Amino acid sequence: MGLGAGSEIGILVGLAVTAGVALSIRPVRAWLSSTRTAVAVLAITGVLAAVGVFVGQNLPPGAYAERHGPVFGPLLVRLGLTSVFASWYFLVAVSVLALSILACTFGRIVRLVRARRRRIAAIGSFVTHLGLVVIIAGGIVTALGGFRRPADRYVRAGGEIEVPEGGFSLRVDEARTDFTEDGKIAEYVSVVTLIEDAREVGTQRIEVNHPLVRNGIGVYQYEMLPAAESVEEAALGVVCTDEGGEERVQELVVPFQEAVPLPGTALSLEVVAFLSHFTYDIERGTAELASVRHENPAVLVQVSRGDTVLGERWAFVGMPSHDAGPDIPCRFFLLHYRPDYLRALTRFEFTRQPGTPLLYVGFGALSLGLVLVFWTQAAAVTINEPDDGGEA
Amino acid sequence: MNGSPDFTFFWIALWCYLAATVGAALYAGLRRPRVRAFVLAATVAGLAANTIALVVRSAISGHPPVTNLFEYLSFFAWAIVVGFLLMWRRKGLELLTVFAAPVAFAMMVMASLFPSQIEQQLIPALQSYWLWIHVSLAVLAEAAFAVAFVASVLYLVGARRGFERGPGADALDAVTYRAIGIGFPLFTIGALFAGAVWAQRAWGSPWSWDPKETSSLIVWLIYAIYLHARLVRGLRGTGVATLSIVGFAMTVFTILGSKILGGLHSYG
Repeated sequence: MGLGAGSEIGILVGLAVTAGVALSIRPVRAWLSSTRTAVAVLAITGVLAAVGVFVGQNLPPGAYAERHGPVFGPLLVRLGLTSVFASWYFLVAVSVLALSILACTFGRIVRLVRARRRRIAAIGSFVTHLGLVVIIAGGIVTALGGFRRPADRYVRAGGEIEVPEGGFSLRVDEARTDFTEDGKIAEYVSVVTLIEDAREVGTQRIEVNHPLVRNGIGVYQYEMLPAAESVEEAALGVVCTDEGGEERVQELVVPFQEAVPLPGTALSLEVVAFLSHFTYDIERGTAELASVRHENPAVLVQVSRGDTVLGERWAFVGMPSHDAGPDIPCRFFLLHYRPDYLRALTRFEFTRQPGTPLLYVGFGALSLGLVLVFWTQAAAVTINEPDDGGEA
Repeated sequence: MNGSPDFTFFWIALWCYLAATVGAALYAGLRRPRVRAFVLAATVAGLAANTIALVVRSAISGHPPVTNLFEYLSFFAWAIVVGFLLMWRRKGLELLTVFAAPVAFAMMVMASLFPSQIEQQLIPALQSYWLWIHVSLAVLAEAAFAVAFVASVLYLVGARRGFERGPGADALDAVTYRAIGIGFPLFTIGALFAGAVWAQRAWGSPWSWDPKETSSLIVWLIYAIYLHARLVRGLRGTGVATLSIVGFAMTVFTILGSKILGGLHSYG
């Protein structure tokens, strides 16, 4: 959750004052601007980042014991190595790195003013370090005032969702997955109407790589699931017992909510309902949707003879419908099904990244500075300087 | 086996690089100009086949050949060979330049281990012009790091033998520095800057501490340490050569790591 703008500015001012005080103390400044310090802090940051790469980050605590054993796993959690990028020691390392870069940048201003030869390289070196300072400032601004949060629910066409801290909401007009002719996913598409102050203020299409940005909040296409309560069609395995007591097995493809005759019998079948994650409420005696994920799909098969409905049975994957009583002389299995992508459920992610413009400016400066330093081949301006540790 | 026409040229390139690798090993021992000429011929033939394979693949798929590890490593091998061939006529670097093929061969072998089917339809996350900018620049930067890596390996080997039979210490040190001097800005612009811009557009944040992002940051930090040591303190020798080797090892890990560690970059 982002802080208020006042708090962000306050914290930034506090950080700047702390940095200013640290850099005004000469021995501290000398230590921060030495190459040895720079190399050491770069190395420490690198090692901590490597820990972050090799130890999976922010997994459930139990996962570490499973991966790394009952002793080492909990130890990793206790040492904070499972969320290393939020740990105090990583933040300290990055802070010292930032101060070191800041000290070097100030040093470079002096050098820039004095430089008579290879000025371009001197400018490049200064701009490079300044760029790094701006990047870190951008990171701090986002850390203080930004957020990134997936929506807490999926929305189907017709549904509405409030955009946190955005002052507007979105009504989903369309949520679908587009496919190519050979069945590959081409695009996830959500068409939304923006509603602000109870008025419709526009319509926009949100796709991956094409977010909606309004009032400083980005709305991203985060996830798309096929419908949780309908399918295009279901393939059923049907096992019927004939009058002679013999079992007949056949496969039948049944479009959703469309009666299909069962060959060799006077029966017809219809898939009248679908639940992507079936669960049974014992108290109420009803089938329920546990979640919109397709984790335990089930179809409700209605069996009729002529115009008379004989009964209904839930059919599951790998499990026969239970209670094949005298009313329905068949058991059903759900072999597979074609999901309904036209009535998909969409899920957005909401972000505010107030430091991003600073980050871009910083990266631009860093890139330009490096080009000036290396591609003018004038970098030798800093080679073999007398060292007190050298200046980074 | 994949029946796509690009695949035939991929294998021709791989075999040419293998022949050049054998030639490079012979040249390291014999130092005969004829052997070097053979290495050059095999490497150029390999590069030609590699180029055709990449062009044909791009023409069929309709997108740059950087959307899975097979394509990425093939393109990487191509860029490495181009990087080395640019130095072919430099005097004193004869031994260095013949080692393009072994590195390219290693990348092609690794590429051959990954699925090579052509996907005409990119997944939604990859449908962006940033794919061209971000990945292509990253590959070129990493190829420059590969050149620095070979120069550093030769430096360490030469340091043990007193630089009697190969390029001089200064030449190898200069090649390492120049290659990193080209690769580092390219990596900063392509892998980190362009990557951040694309990540903001696709995922809503320029940085997510994803394993590949973090590995790239580590690569950047290693070469930043190298440059501080080499530029500011004027250090040369085995220490900075070792840093360059560690940097390239981390680069290769960054390329392959998402396959093991998963994350936002694990596309194929």
